[in-house]
Amino acid sequence: MERKKHFMDTSESVCSETIYNKVYNEHSKSVWRFIYFKCGDSARADDLVQDAFIKLWQNCAKVPVEKARSYLYTLVNNAFLNEIAHHKVVLKHRETVTGNTDNQNPQYLLEEKQFKEKLENAIANLSEAQRTAFLLNRIEGKKYREIAEILGISVKAVEKRMSQALANLRKEIENI
Amino acid sequence: MKQDYLLHKWLNGEILTEAEMLQLKASPEFASYLKISDASATLTPPTFNQEANFKAIKNKLATKKHIPVKKLNPLTTFLKIVAVLAVLFVGYKYINSLNTTVKTEVAQTKNIQLPDESEVLVNAKSTLAFNKKTWDKKRELSLEGEAYFKVTRGKKFRVKTALGEVAVLGTQFNVYARDKKFTVVCYEGLVQVTLPDTIIKVPAGNNLRVENNKIISFKPTQIQAPLWVVQKESHFENAPLRDVIKELERQYPITVSTKSNRILDKRFTGSFTHKNLETALKTICKPLQLKFTISDNQVSIYAK
Repeated sequence: MERKKHFMDTSESVCSETIYNKVYNEHSKSVWRFIYFKCGDSARADDLVQDAFIKLWQNCAKVPVEKARSYLYTLVNNAFLNEIAHHKVVLKHRETVTGNTDNQNPQYLLEEKQFKEKLENAIANLSEAQRTAFLLNRIEGKKYREIAEILGISVKAVEKRMSQALANLRKEIENI
Repeated sequence: MKQDYLLHKWLNGEILTEAEMLQLKASPEFASYLKISDASATLTPPTFNQEANFKAIKNKLATKKHIPVKKLNPLTTFLKIVAVLAVLFVGYKYINSLNTTVKTEVAQTKNIQLPDESEVLVNAKSTLAFNKKTWDKKRELSLEGEAYFKVTRGKKFRVKTALGEVAVLGTQFNVYARDKKFTVVCYEGLVQVTLPDTIIKVPAGNNLRVENNKIISFKPTQIQAPLWVVQKESHFENAPLRDVIKELERQYPITVSTKSNRILDKRFTGSFTHKNLETALKTICKPLQLKFTISDNQVSIYAK
């Protein structure tokens, strides 16, 4: 009985408003970030995410709950691919408010600040493919397998993109 | 290679041993990779406003719902089509029902070829109407005045007049329907004459005369074809001069006046030509002992 109920739940459609809301709460942020890593335009990312969720609602009968996440990623990705204009990806470091900042010497802090600035620029200059994979891993903390799934590529390809991204970042940061 | 493997292992969130960590850091290249990766992990993208976007989605969905989807009502569409077809049908029927009308003026005869090769010779001052389109189904025409018919064999051929109806299968006959006088002469075959109260079959070589819905005579005639057709003459048998003058006025563009009304009742048997007015007047006046004068289109007839 319990198993059956579980089975029923997973195959339930997104047409139920509670389920739709749940899907939104679970995935909207990561989908938004994913598309932001690609396009670097938060307004555009808003639009793409909104459109994707609207499409999900309209096609709710065809999309089972367990497929909703990849459906959303596919929708925003396709929409993104249709876009021509790309923006510079702007990422900012969190203001690290840690108690021990006073203990560090000013020289170190300055160097650290410069390093972070360089890193931000270097990431913005990465190719879209490398940046998306790299940021999904670094910021979103996604495993290679998950990234491979989202981007529709192999784990090996994710590994390659990560290596390339790191190599490019290092080159750019140390050259400047 | 080993370092590469370790780097990816570490990036993939797996925990490395102390020794492995040291091994990675030993290479300046990999040490910097670790530093970059660590620093990148603290980056934050702009905040995604989950609530505002959710509201926007709900709004968009709501407005999309409000856009009235005009449903094509299959019934109204059907009715529209039916209405158009009905109008077309009625229009077609109307145009079909429009008759071909032949009208002859004074001193004019017209030879009409009907759709089935039947022929009608319409005498002066007469009107003939028939429908070309429905002719194959219904050989029917209406007549006011006089006409001679040569009907080819086929379906029933009807001549409708205000005074009666003549129906035949295939024959030659003459119909005269003027001023309450209805005369049918059959020259070939058999015609059926329907009067308001009776039906009479007129065989070939017979002459039926009806006046004021009463049969005046129904007798054989020697004439093979109406004189107005064959010899361009109008023929009368014991007819009052009044009628003869009317016919004269139909065949010639004249007006006839008489000095006294008494002579109008004189009876005339014979025929007058359509070719020459003076000859015609002579043939009428001589046997009745009358005289006439012609000035322009005015003819005056008077007793001697």
